[in-house]
Amino acid sequence: MTCREVTNLLPLFFDGELDSRQMRALALHSSRCTSCEDELGQLEGLQELLRTIINERVDEIDLSKIWSAIEPKLPARKISATERLRRWWEEAAPRWDMRVPAFAAAAMLAALALYFMTQGRQPGALPTAPQVAIAESNEASIDSLETEADSVALMSDPETSTTLLWVSDDSIVEDVGP
Amino acid sequence: MTSHHLLPAAALVAACVLPAALLAQPEHAILSSPTGSAVVEVRIGAVLASNSGTEFDHRLASMHRQFNRLFSYTSYQLVKEERQRVAWGGRASFEIPGGRYVVVIPREYKNDRVSMKVLVIEGARPIIDTVLSLRDRGTFLVGGPRQADGVLILAIGANMVD
Repeated sequence: MTCREVTNLLPLFFDGELDSRQMRALALHSSRCTSCEDELGQLEGLQELLRTIINERVDEIDLSKIWSAIEPKLPARKISATERLRRWWEEAAPRWDMRVPAFAAAAMLAALALYFMTQGRQPGALPTAPQVAIAESNEASIDSLETEADSVALMSDPETSTTLLWVSDDSIVEDVGP
Repeated sequence: MTSHHLLPAAALVAACVLPAALLAQPEHAILSSPTGSAVVEVRIGAVLASNSGTEFDHRLASMHRQFNRLFSYTSYQLVKEERQRVAWGGRASFEIPGGRYVVVIPREYKNDRVSMKVLVIEGARPIIDTVLSLRDRGTFLVGGPRQADGVLILAIGANMVD
């Protein structure tokens, strides 16, 4: 795609009237062409100005009572297995007679898991079904981030070393999601 | 903490850390070997997460723990998995459900990390335009785009090619 074609398509781009193929070509070109990126930036600046004006008007509205109205309608939060284990641990604090057998059982399970997992790693083992692989550390360093979505949340789970970008494209409160 | 508190705690640490350390060794051996390859393998997995059903796609078994910790959906289906080998600075384009595209441009491999530009394009706009780096064979997740009765979760990563 040429710069002229991009310039002609920019109004359609901001009106959301490009098909996905054109959009893809425009995005790729703009990511590599300084002048088109600048032009895109200027139009985005205009949009930002409009957004600022709208936000200023919204700020004048009292939103303090919205959460208290929504909260009772939300479903109960799902408690993860690790959270249940942590709570059990805290509740069982004075009762070490329960904990010691639990440790022994955990150690045995870990040993069994180690045995079976290392067996599976032996050379010549039968191939298994293809799986989506995930490395031990998936922590990503974000150098830059831009979005056209309403909001993006960057989450990092230290326990699994996993980085997640969560894109939220409307203001509706969902009963699922992180 | 008294000594009878320490004993079971030490047992737990040993039970958890020792297997993890042993299992980690082969991966470290791969990651520590520098490679001057001219190409890199970019991979993407598109997962449809929803509360319709309770099926967990067996091909996602290695990500079960991550999904359970990060999300509260009841069903996870791998709807697309694709790998492409591209040169550094080249682009790998993936079509994903909902008429969306993911474009990944690997930039460099430095300090055991792959730097890449990632664009997620939905309809007429890039919902994500980011530059990030992650470890060789690492995977990061992009979630949230609505799809059918759930959302898409994208697992994006890059593998160094020996």
